[in-house]
Amino acid sequence: MASEHIARGYDEELRKLSNTVAEMGGLAESQLGAAMEAVTTRDTELAARVVEGDTKVDQLERDLDSLAIRLLALRQPVARDLREIFSALKIGSDLERIGDYAANVAKRSIALSQTPAVRPAYALPRMAHFAQLQIKEVLDAYVERDADKAYAVWKRDAELDEMYSSLFRELLTYMMEDPRSIGSCTHLLFMAKNIERIGDHATNIAENLYYLVNGAPLEQLRPKGDVSSLEVVTPAGAPK
Amino acid sequence: MDTYARRRIVNGLVMTLCVAATGFGLLWLVLVLWTLLWNGIAAITPALFAQMTPPPGSAGGLLNAIFGSVVMTFIGTLIGTPTGILAGTFLAEYSRGSKFGEVVRFINDILLSAPSIIVGLFVYELMVVRMGHFSAWAGAVALAILVIPVVVRTTEDMLNLVPSSLREAASALGSPKWKVIVMISYRAAIQGMVTGVMLAVARIAGETAPLLFTALNNQFWSTNLNAPMANLPVVIFQFAMSPYADWQVLAWGGALLITITVLFLNIGARALASWSTFKQ
Amino acid sequence: MEAQPASRQKVLIRNVDFYYGTFKALKTITIPLHDKRVTAFIGPSGCGKSTLLRVLNRIYELYPGQRATGEVLVDGENILSPGLDLNLLRARIGMVFQKPTPFPMSIYDNIAFGIRLYERLPHHELDDRVESALRRAALWDEVKDKLGQSGLGLSGGQQQRLCIARAVAVRPEILLLDEPASALDPISTQRIEELIAELKTDYCIAIVTHNMQQAARSSDYTAFMYLGELIEFDETERIFTHPKQKHTEDYITGRFG
Repeated sequence: MASEHIARGYDEELRKLSNTVAEMGGLAESQLGAAMEAVTTRDTELAARVVEGDTKVDQLERDLDSLAIRLLALRQPVARDLREIFSALKIGSDLERIGDYAANVAKRSIALSQTPAVRPAYALPRMAHFAQLQIKEVLDAYVERDADKAYAVWKRDAELDEMYSSLFRELLTYMMEDPRSIGSCTHLLFMAKNIERIGDHATNIAENLYYLVNGAPLEQLRPKGDVSSLEVVTPAGAPK
Repeated sequence: MDTYARRRIVNGLVMTLCVAATGFGLLWLVLVLWTLLWNGIAAITPALFAQMTPPPGSAGGLLNAIFGSVVMTFIGTLIGTPTGILAGTFLAEYSRGSKFGEVVRFINDILLSAPSIIVGLFVYELMVVRMGHFSAWAGAVALAILVIPVVVRTTEDMLNLVPSSLREAASALGSPKWKVIVMISYRAAIQGMVTGVMLAVARIAGETAPLLFTALNNQFWSTNLNAPMANLPVVIFQFAMSPYADWQVLAWGGALLITITVLFLNIGARALASWSTFKQ
Repeated sequence: MEAQPASRQKVLIRNVDFYYGTFKALKTITIPLHDKRVTAFIGPSGCGKSTLLRVLNRIYELYPGQRATGEVLVDGENILSPGLDLNLLRARIGMVFQKPTPFPMSIYDNIAFGIRLYERLPHHELDDRVESALRRAALWDEVKDKLGQSGLGLSGGQQQRLCIARAVAVRPEILLLDEPASALDPISTQRIEELIAELKTDYCIAIVTHNMQQAARSSDYTAFMYLGELIEFDETERIFTHPKQKHTEDYITGRFG
């Protein structure tokens, strides 16, 4: 920040708010990483730990909320201070959802590891890794209050959406070829969707950060690369 | 157009009347001062301050009268000022709303405008008759009685101007009441109080009637406070009424002296007041 | 908020009534003041908050016709008892008023005035006390070269800090602040609030303010008063996030007052 408030306590409280967001973000990121590792190594114990770990993310969000409410009630923030607190609340909410999705992925991996591996499963870690990078990048941007970095994250979401679309098509094809794999592939489908949603939440965070720094929202239409909702699949074999 | 023109005419008329009235008042003041100056300047010589009041027909000065006036004014102020300040302090600091305070204030206001000849008569009965002779002490006492109400009034007014928040702030530190008064109230009001004393002195500088009954007069040089003492007002009275020309000139000179002294005291009081407000 | 030192009750105001002549201005007020904490009193004009503050150092006794009944226990001792030495009491309980009131003397003498009342100190010790009081009030750097100048020559914010320095110079146990920043501009106000935040580590502070945002910013406990009664008393955060009384909520959200 440019300069300090006359009331030092105010600065300390804002720093604490910011640190809580960063802590939450780091936790969410590592949750996703651990969930993916549980998928690839078929480690059910790790998966269970990830599911457990989501309570910590939820607790951090509650801490964040009460800190933000306290700041709003007692400090009457305006201008940048107000945007800081407002963004912290919204980012916390997004991070909590990311944590939920990571825990969901971990939960499904338990079921998945009890079925034989399927080929499209290998694409999933790549998606997750990309999403993890998005989270990391946007958190770095938050710590540095860098709007340009946030914008880059925001744009890259299109890639993640494309990855999801192609995985969607691949899974549909696989399911049609081998109906015995429908169980696994459905789990994978949901997991891929979760990861794609994680990417969307990271993009939300980027938008909030942009607003925090510049005081105006990111106006452009978000690049939507996810065309899977428009997919039409015919039973004759290959999709259109 | 009608109303506006009429207003302008009325305005002009009233303005003219105001200026004329002011001029009329100032005219007499100027005349008095001019007459004093014209007639008295001839007497302002070194001899005035070096020689005693002469017998008719010879040259002389006003030294013994000047000395007597100064001494009696000084002693009168010395007696009257502390009494007046303490009484004024009582009224301002200790008598908030009490009946007794209101009575004291009322009596003080009466004394303030009491005819000075009454004061002279009072001191005559009190001191001159008892002592069996006129004296400078009696004169000083009479002047003191004239000083007291003025100092009481100005002290009380000045102390009342000190904001009570200042007193509260001092009390809130644990200061006993007398210290609050001496170290805070007095310090805050000091300029006003000094102005009050100067105005009191200016008042008694020219009082004749009380001195007539108490100090009387003395042709010769005397430093004996227990005996009649020469003083300017009575000398002026005596010399001006006489048929002797040189006495009359001396009378004018004395009158001019008193006027100049009073003038300087008043200017000094004003300068002090404006300097203090400027400082704040 | 970072952890504060543990606090105990320093003052207990118990069933206090106050009368201006026959008018009852305070009705059965019972409230504690915690040591090393700031307790703020808020409420609309005429609610009695300044009156209550003035009970604590019995400054009302300067004026006939004003009296208080009930008890005010400071460390267990009732300071409303009739035989108490008021001057010694006021040296233990300092007060800063709404309007800055520098004495008509030099800055040094302003601070030394209170010290000289009860202590006979050698010159250099007095200098040290004056300096530490001015440092405490965040005024030393601004006036250290002009200690001999009149206190009246300072700006409004500086004068008020001078009054605060004057109050802490006598080392009181409790500080009473009656709307200390209401006569000051916003930046001076914030400086005073920051000063209060620093001072509370050493004193039990009670502050009356008509600006409830100031109470929210700078106090640990808040008491809401209305027409001479205590409506609610609680930790400041609770009062301003979910007060228990609807009346309190109406006041702080600006629905009346």
